[in-house]
Amino acid sequence: MFTGLILKERRYRFNYRSTHYLTTNGFYEFLNWFDERAWYPLGRIVGGTVYPGLMVTAGLIHYVLNLLHVTVHIRDVCVFLAPIFSGLTAISTFLLTRELWNQGAGLLAACFIAIVPGYISRSVAGSFDNEGIAIFALQFTYYLWVKSVKTGSVCWTIGCCLSYFYMVSAWGGYVFIINLIPLHVFVLLLMQRFSRRVYIAYSTFYIVGLVLSMQIPFVGFQPIRTSEHMAAAGVFALLQAYAFLQYLKDRLTRQEFQTLFFLGVSLAAGAVFLTVIYLTYTGYIAPWSGRFYSLWDTGYAKIHIPIIASVSEHQPTTWVSFFFDLHILVCTFPAGLWFCIKNINDERVFVALYAISAVYFAGVMVRLMLTLTPVVCMLSAIAFSSVFEHYLGDDQKRESPPAEDSSDEDDKRSSGNLYDKAGKVRKHVSEQEKAEEGLGPNIKSIVTMLMLMLLMMFAVHCTWVTSNAYSSPSVVLASYNNDGTRNILDDFREAYYWLRQNTDERARVMSWWDYGYQIAGMANRTTLVDNNTWNNSHIALVGKAMSSNESAAYEIMQSLDVDYVLIIFGGVIGYSGDDINKFLWMVRIAEGEHPKDIRETDYFTPQGEFRVDKAGSPTLLNCLMYKMSYYRFGEMQLDFRTPPGFDRTRNAEIGNKDIRFEHLEEAFTSEHWLVRIYKVKKPENRQPLGHKPRITNIVPKQKYTSKKVAKRKRGYVRNKLVLKKGRRAVRKAL
Amino acid sequence: MRAEVSLVNDEVKRTVDLSTHLAKISTEVLLSNQGGSAAHSFVVALEADLAPHLAYIGVSVNDEEEKDRPLELKEVRVKGQSGVFFEVQLPSPLAGGSKLQLQVETVLSHVLRPFPLHINQAERQLVVFQANHYLYSPYPTTTQTTRVRLASKNVESYTKLGNPTKSDENIEYGPFYDVPPYSQDAMKIHYENNSPFLTISSITRTIEVSHWGNIAVEETIDLRHTGAFLKGPFSRYDYQRQSDSGISSVKSFKTILPASAQDVYYRDEIGNISTSHLLVLEDSVEVEVRPRFPLFGGWKTHYIIGYNLPSYEYLYTLGDQYALKMRLVDHVYDDQVIDHLTVKIILPEGARNIHLDTPYPIDRMPDQLHYTYLDTFGRPVLVASKKNLVEQHIQDVVIHYTFNKILMLQEPLLVVGAFYIMFFTVIIYVRLDFSITKDPAAEVRMKVASITEQVLTLVNKRLGLYRHLDEAVNRYKQSRDTGALNSARKAMEAEHRSLTTDVGALQGRLKAEGSDLAEKVGEVQKLDGQVKELVCRSCQEAERLVAGKVKKEAYIESEKTLAGKRLELVTRIDSLLDAL
Repeated sequence: MFTGLILKERRYRFNYRSTHYLTTNGFYEFLNWFDERAWYPLGRIVGGTVYPGLMVTAGLIHYVLNLLHVTVHIRDVCVFLAPIFSGLTAISTFLLTRELWNQGAGLLAACFIAIVPGYISRSVAGSFDNEGIAIFALQFTYYLWVKSVKTGSVCWTIGCCLSYFYMVSAWGGYVFIINLIPLHVFVLLLMQRFSRRVYIAYSTFYIVGLVLSMQIPFVGFQPIRTSEHMAAAGVFALLQAYAFLQYLKDRLTRQEFQTLFFLGVSLAAGAVFLTVIYLTYTGYIAPWSGRFYSLWDTGYAKIHIPIIASVSEHQPTTWVSFFFDLHILVCTFPAGLWFCIKNINDERVFVALYAISAVYFAGVMVRLMLTLTPVVCMLSAIAFSSVFEHYLGDDQKRESPPAEDSSDEDDKRSSGNLYDKAGKVRKHVSEQEKAEEGLGPNIKSIVTMLMLMLLMMFAVHCTWVTSNAYSSPSVVLASYNNDGTRNILDDFREAYYWLRQNTDERARVMSWWDYGYQIAGMANRTTLVDNNTWNNSHIALVGKAMSSNESAAYEIMQSLDVDYVLIIFGGVIGYSGDDINKFLWMVRIAEGEHPKDIRETDYFTPQGEFRVDKAGSPTLLNCLMYKMSYYRFGEMQLDFRTPPGFDRTRNAEIGNKDIRFEHLEEAFTSEHWLVRIYKVKKPENRQPLGHKPRITNIVPKQKYTSKKVAKRKRGYVRNKLVLKKGRRAVRKAL
Repeated sequence: MRAEVSLVNDEVKRTVDLSTHLAKISTEVLLSNQGGSAAHSFVVALEADLAPHLAYIGVSVNDEEEKDRPLELKEVRVKGQSGVFFEVQLPSPLAGGSKLQLQVETVLSHVLRPFPLHINQAERQLVVFQANHYLYSPYPTTTQTTRVRLASKNVESYTKLGNPTKSDENIEYGPFYDVPPYSQDAMKIHYENNSPFLTISSITRTIEVSHWGNIAVEETIDLRHTGAFLKGPFSRYDYQRQSDSGISSVKSFKTILPASAQDVYYRDEIGNISTSHLLVLEDSVEVEVRPRFPLFGGWKTHYIIGYNLPSYEYLYTLGDQYALKMRLVDHVYDDQVIDHLTVKIILPEGARNIHLDTPYPIDRMPDQLHYTYLDTFGRPVLVASKKNLVEQHIQDVVIHYTFNKILMLQEPLLVVGAFYIMFFTVIIYVRLDFSITKDPAAEVRMKVASITEQVLTLVNKRLGLYRHLDEAVNRYKQSRDTGALNSARKAMEAEHRSLTTDVGALQGRLKAEGSDLAEKVGEVQKLDGQVKELVCRSCQEAERLVAGKVKKEAYIESEKTLAGKRLELVTRIDSLLDAL
């Protein structure tokens, strides 16, 4: 039944592999796992460098199911984890929106998040990623936070902390929570909305959350040592000071208090700020990491960390992708935000801050679109729900909007009322007797129709995106013939499986880091670099090997013990995501570490173009990557209209058709040439010399001895008198 | 045990088929008993060199009346002679002087040795076959011929004993006359053989029987190309452009599954293998198995193929007795060689008295237990293994066991029980109050809410009464039927009174609960009284109009004011009710 299940993206492979390790070897073994199969020869400490939440969740589900003798394979658990968690996300979105607005908006929000393309990418079956469960944890944490701010109950706050702990264990994006919640508290203070509830909620959350988050090995002492977490600490201190002053307020006269208040608050704020700066400079607190700088300055990564910039997910978001991922919601959510700000209360301050910060981050990085999606769904749902309430609902009700008081008592009562009345909507007697006034039935129906049309188009768009963009796994490419039949290009798995079956088990495979997890997962071979890009210089070394000429590359590969080199070549089928198109990033990353050996400009034509044809730069035409990609491609004629060696991806006839290898040999090429694997020859397999080697240690038959040497003198005097003073007596043996 | 010396191989015709990667030797022997006493058995022998490669040996009588009747073999030892020997029981004793036509089938695996051992992609595969020119037999042979069938015309070399004739793909040795027993003479043929040298290095066949009508079969196969090793690079370009490049490599092969096979899957550790085709034929299902990559010499692959079969075709039952009759090993590809076979048969939970009937001896291993969906004490698993199997081993195995039919109910009952417990827990949780503190406020609230609910329905009903009366008045204005109006009014009055008292009672209860809603209800009551007054007045007005006491215009005027007042009051009631 589940035979066609595969994990879609490359990085999911690693998650699956770690989960598999966890289920076979147990949790403690997993925490101590040193993976010698990755980052050869360095290895990687996996247990301490991953967020274990995903693996532990999948492992736990697997364990429980097997305990009940439901013998599912861990792979099936992994494949279906994302849909299960997206269901939970929808529920927690409903809860959060219900807290913010009302039940109707909550239902709409749950519907939106269920189908919105921005989240579907992480919630389809086969996506096995940290983000999948993290968005659930995020939404649920926010729900519990809003609940605890509303009630001021320690119980809800502890729940919030546990949910936060789960989020920390699942995804590095927990930093978003630990900054957004303090921001919320801070803004509440500024808005004079301080209350005992906020005080209890935040104090509990900060302390318990801090202690819990430090239990994750990968996070460790970061929450008290890095700048990203300092805002939370600062707000905590500020809140204590504020609360103390509030306490003093009861004891002092008005005049005394006002002076003391301003003095105290400004002193506290200043002290906190200065402490943070001092600690940063003395090194107790780590400064902002590069990845965070790139959030403020989009150009930062391109200059300083090319490896971050080389990932397409880290590019700034385009408007097209906003529309693609959110469709109509991107237009309606500002309206929802406006509704929230218009009827402001404590928790709506929160959602407004959430929306504004998420919009900023989504604009910086495509990947962070994911954090924007839930809030967009919630706010759009609020907008739609208000509109529908206005145009579909009763006029009477409209005059008295739903109770929005944040106090506990009222909240309970209004929600209680909602439950009671849900089934039996009371007909107003007066309505039948009163003529319609205000909105005519025409306007009502037109607006409703329009809104429904929008929603319908949204649903159509979501279905289309899901079926086209997010349903096909990237490891299997599919093309359609003219008659509609599907061609499956399964080259990746072909090559990986070949590696798995027909190479030595300890063989080391060099490839660009994109394919590291895939090789480790599918081919089960040692890789040099992988998608966990923690060691930039190692990646740069691989980049250097790829971009040098063969003999220089051979030296590097020898020093790294490389047995096989794997590259992706899309020239035959026109696959654009191949290594030649990524090549400039390899050059750039290599240049960052080895500026003497690799220069980006060498790979461009004098006109500054990157060309693979005859006009291309000779450095490019002779570098290892080029040679490996186009080895024997020059003989290949794809169709009769193009010359042999015509690259379909770059639409050019290749410039170097006579490619020979000295130190490498072709080991395997997949059916459509998408994956090419080369074997690095061992040193003794070098080609013999063309001529007879010159022998230098010939012993001549007639030993020539210089007279000078014979006498071991610089010069000698002819007929020099040599004194002889008798012979040494030979001792006789007794 | 000594061979009976009185037997003689009168005429021997040997055919050695070397066209595949197997050596299939079929020998027709005319056995004659030249001694005095009747022979009950005879001995078939195989050389010591070939003995480890022996996969299958079978002897059948090839007479006119008894065609292809297999005989039983038993391995025996012969003193002073090397090789393996099998004693064959004759179906009927062979009397002195009589003759019997026999056929001996031998299949040898891994006897064709690739030479050279390493070839590159463009080269053809050459193999060496080494055997005996003569029939290895404990009896003297009178005449003997040997015919060797090769895979191709290209022969590098062959031994030339007795000046053999070679035509196309055949080499004919002999006839040799009066060969003594146990004579050996090395035969060596070096020839080109590009047939696929595929070997299943290990196969695990799992048969899972379910009494719900399904038998699931799964085969995990390790496949290896055991021909000459590929040396040097593998060039995809040459492989695609030149038809004879990699001629000895294996692209695909056909596996024949039973005709009723359903839900066939073909996959490996990293997922579904998309390069296969399924062909459903009348009497079988053909799977074109294409490994992910072509197999060259020395390359291996691993895959899993599985399918479901309906159990009615293989499972027989009589009361509590069950018998499963299935292939112990099935077809994987033509001329298959299996180095190591493991068969696992998973019987339903609760199967007892298991007894296995195999067509040939296999090694039983200790039984295991297997747990799957809804199992409690585990399913018995029979495990057996055997080495070196060929196509001739595709035979049926019969497993007898007893199974109590009541046990069929166990799994559904388990599910029912689980759901029952779950719902029961929910029921208990919902019905009972588990809170450790009592919240009187919440209780009061709930009580109040239920009372208000009742008030709302009553008030609505009361407002409905007025509308009824209005209708009655309108009817009266047309029909001028005073009686009807009066009765309607009376009915309304009565009902109104009862409703009002009900609402009053509820109001009292609200007050008892100490809710401030009681005042609101009181206000509603007051307003309602006014409304009722207005209704009565409009009723009277109508009467007066009908009686002609007022003019129509005046009536309409007063009616309008009354209606306006009423509307106002009703709106106020509504808003009060909303606030409840």
